[in-house]
Amino acid sequence: MIAVLGLVVGVVAGLVVRPVVPTVVEPYLPIAVVAALDAVFGGLRAMLDGIFDDKVFVVSFLSNVVVAALIVFLGDKLGVGAQLSTGVVVVLGIRIFSNAAAIRRHIFRA
Amino acid sequence: MRPVSDETPPPDQDRTPDSGRTPGGSGPPSDRKRALPPERPRPEAGPEPRPEPRPEPEPQSESQGGTGDGGGALTGRQRLAKAVWPPRVTRAQLIVALLLFVLGLGLAIQVRSTSENSALRGARHEDLVRILDELDDRTKRLEDEKRELDKHRTELDNSSDQAEEARKQTAEKEAQLGVLAGTVAAEGPGIRLTINDPKGATDSDTLLDAVQELRAAGAEAIQINGVRVVASTYFSDSGGGVSVDGHGVSQPYRFEVIGKPADLEPALNIPGGVVQTLKNKQAKASISRSEKITVDALRQAKRPDYARSSSQ
Repeated sequence: MIAVLGLVVGVVAGLVVRPVVPTVVEPYLPIAVVAALDAVFGGLRAMLDGIFDDKVFVVSFLSNVVVAALIVFLGDKLGVGAQLSTGVVVVLGIRIFSNAAAIRRHIFRA
Repeated sequence: MRPVSDETPPPDQDRTPDSGRTPGGSGPPSDRKRALPPERPRPEAGPEPRPEPRPEPEPQSESQGGTGDGGGALTGRQRLAKAVWPPRVTRAQLIVALLLFVLGLGLAIQVRSTSENSALRGARHEDLVRILDELDDRTKRLEDEKRELDKHRTELDNSSDQAEEARKQTAEKEAQLGVLAGTVAAEGPGIRLTINDPKGATDSDTLLDAVQELRAAGAEAIQINGVRVVASTYFSDSGGGVSVDGHGVSQPYRFEVIGKPADLEPALNIPGGVVQTLKNKQAKASISRSEKITVDALRQAKRPDYARSSSQ
């Protein structure tokens, strides 16, 4: 419950406060957000499986974000930033879908 | 009771081990431990964050005590409901809330920035460079066009003035050339030379000498007895007199000459010059200066048949 509240508060804060993102971080934000979404879906699925662990969740969340940003950064340096970030988004999207499928099976039994 | 009846039908295809385990849940601890592994492989195949947790969740669910024992039989739906509704402030909930707050923040920022100036904010370096190049090209093209139009406008502004000026210059030039070609009348200071030759001793050579002497002295317009002397003028002897350009002239020969009188008169009077020669032939030449000589004999401008201006 508190976790859901945290998400809502975060969205509201982002919309109301309008923080300025430093230019250095800007290209990595979208990828980082998608990676974080993947981690959240994974955590939700683990919770439904009854194997949720906050430490694992924190580590996977942060590592997902960092690795995704790192890949994009590396891609930019190598001159294949656009393709690489597309690849990252595709992979994360696939994982989000599979996690969502597991969650759906838990909740709707179908 | 409900969960069991609920769970039994679907697992038929999907979760045979589960369904087989749940009804026979009489010996929960051992059965559960054996039953869990088959459920695990799925998380490993799909999402990554869960492979490690496997050892951990076990103690975790056990540490939750009563719930953990019941949790073995709980469906995912019940777990979710339990996690959501009675709001408990635990460390896990707080940490997850913090991370989700960060996620929500990033999500909101990204959505907002994308919707604000979508075209450029998300663009990559190469795209930006390309867009900038295109803008530069466009600016250059427009500037060229502007310069062209400005020039055009200036030309249009000046065209009336220029036409007027050109007309004026043309008229001026025409007047100058007309004096030389004999197509316009001229007037100005000069001299009159009158040759009385009762004996008819004056021939075309004498008249030509006189004209050449006058030209050398700077005569600008000459007429002889109403015939304009120009570049193509020729003299010839005809019968008793002289013809100038085919027009017969007879004595007395009257020269109207425009030029500087102070130069023209001495040029005729020099020793061995025109006047002395005429005197030797017993002809009488008289010269009078005048401030206003009018040369009004005209001649048609003749278009040359072969010579063409090479300046165009």
